[in-house]
Amino acid sequence: METLQKYCLSLLVTLLLFSCNKDNKEASLRSLKFSQLHYQGTKANLNALAKAIELDATNEDPWREYSIPFLKRGIPHIWKKHMDKAIERNAKEWQGYRGYNYLWFYRDYKKAIADFNALDTITPNFIDAPQGHSVDYWRGIAYLGLNDYKNSIYYFDKYIDKETKETGEDWVEMTGFLFRGIAHYENKNDSLALLSINKLLKYTNNTYADGNYYKALILEKRNNNDEALKFIDIAITNYKDGYYNNRPYVETLRQIYMEDLLLLKERLTKKK
Amino acid sequence: MNKKKILKITSWVFGVLILVVLCFYAYYNYLLKHQHLPSEGAVNHPADYINPEKALLNEGFEVCNEQFICQYYNPERATYSEGKNGLRNFVLSNYKNNSYTDSGYLNIRFVINCKGEAGRYIIHENNLDLEPQVFNKDLVSQLFKITSKLKKWNPNYVRDEYRDSYIYISYRIENGNITEILP
Repeated sequence: METLQKYCLSLLVTLLLFSCNKDNKEASLRSLKFSQLHYQGTKANLNALAKAIELDATNEDPWREYSIPFLKRGIPHIWKKHMDKAIERNAKEWQGYRGYNYLWFYRDYKKAIADFNALDTITPNFIDAPQGHSVDYWRGIAYLGLNDYKNSIYYFDKYIDKETKETGEDWVEMTGFLFRGIAHYENKNDSLALLSINKLLKYTNNTYADGNYYKALILEKRNNNDEALKFIDIAITNYKDGYYNNRPYVETLRQIYMEDLLLLKERLTKKK
Repeated sequence: MNKKKILKITSWVFGVLILVVLCFYAYYNYLLKHQHLPSEGAVNHPADYINPEKALLNEGFEVCNEQFICQYYNPERATYSEGKNGLRNFVLSNYKNNSYTDSGYLNIRFVINCKGEAGRYIIHENNLDLEPQVFNKDLVSQLFKITSKLKKWNPNYVRDEYRDSYIYISYRIENGNITEILP
């Protein structure tokens, strides 16, 4: 009889705990939803996310969402603390995203590559696409940041070939052609750089400042200054029209500015 | 239907509507102040807040609207008057690595007011793993002086008006050398 009572009590406690746990998870989701009604990084948003974490620390979403305003506002240690917690809970979902953050917001190319590689290990035989782009594309950029042209070109080739084979060349992210062209250009292989840049210009109807700028640079190296001048003029028009490579929040890799274009134009004009 | 009856019905409708709005407001206030507030460590300010009393070079610096300081990236970007290249050239040509061995991120956050003036600075020091650390005092002082000499900024433009905005400059430093200036 006494044993039966003990069993009943244990069952009751287990049920109570389970029910509390379930209630907390639901309440946590409610706080998470409430946080999303407020602008990112506001007092109400942050407090609701903290409440969601307090109620259910196993859910990665409030951890990650808490980290983002600090990423965008230049407060790295708070971003890092919360982003790492999200990855501890769901690395498959967020490790690539952290790599993307390391790449753009901290220019820590080695840590970015380590995260992209770790994601490959978690999902073997599958090419992940954190933030909408293949890890190979991101790795190509990260290696370019390290001036490791061999690896940068390898990953851009891999990304472009796969995309071309599966969906068609016109589906390739156009900056893939641009960055691969830059990698070839900086690696002093102008012919391959031009091939890639021409692809970029083909798919942007010749209206992309970066493409025309690099084309002008290559033509200048070939002492074809008249032709180079034509392309730098187009680049200047493209830039004024807003057709150039840039990113929200942070400067992009090898970002060009109007003064770069004007400087090249001045140099080419003097050579005439 | 006589006028008196119409007035009575209208009053009732308005009364009920006001009651509903009040109830909604009270409920929302409850959600904000109680249900979705953590039991410990609730914040009293948004993520970007810089306390004017603790900030550097805040004396004489005025924001145009204390209640609405937006972000540098929204919507048209607050930028340095000489552009990113101008900013980079100014910093790099003035900074000298006095045999520092420090590595990490030295982030300086501040406010650009609606007139394009900079002030209210705060400094965050982290190592390359983004954990808090203390940099060489001379390095911090030198970079802070250089940063605060970046005087002319293009203020953010939101809803047909120039506005105040929070901004930051992040210096990635490796062995005392600046390797990146972000964002």
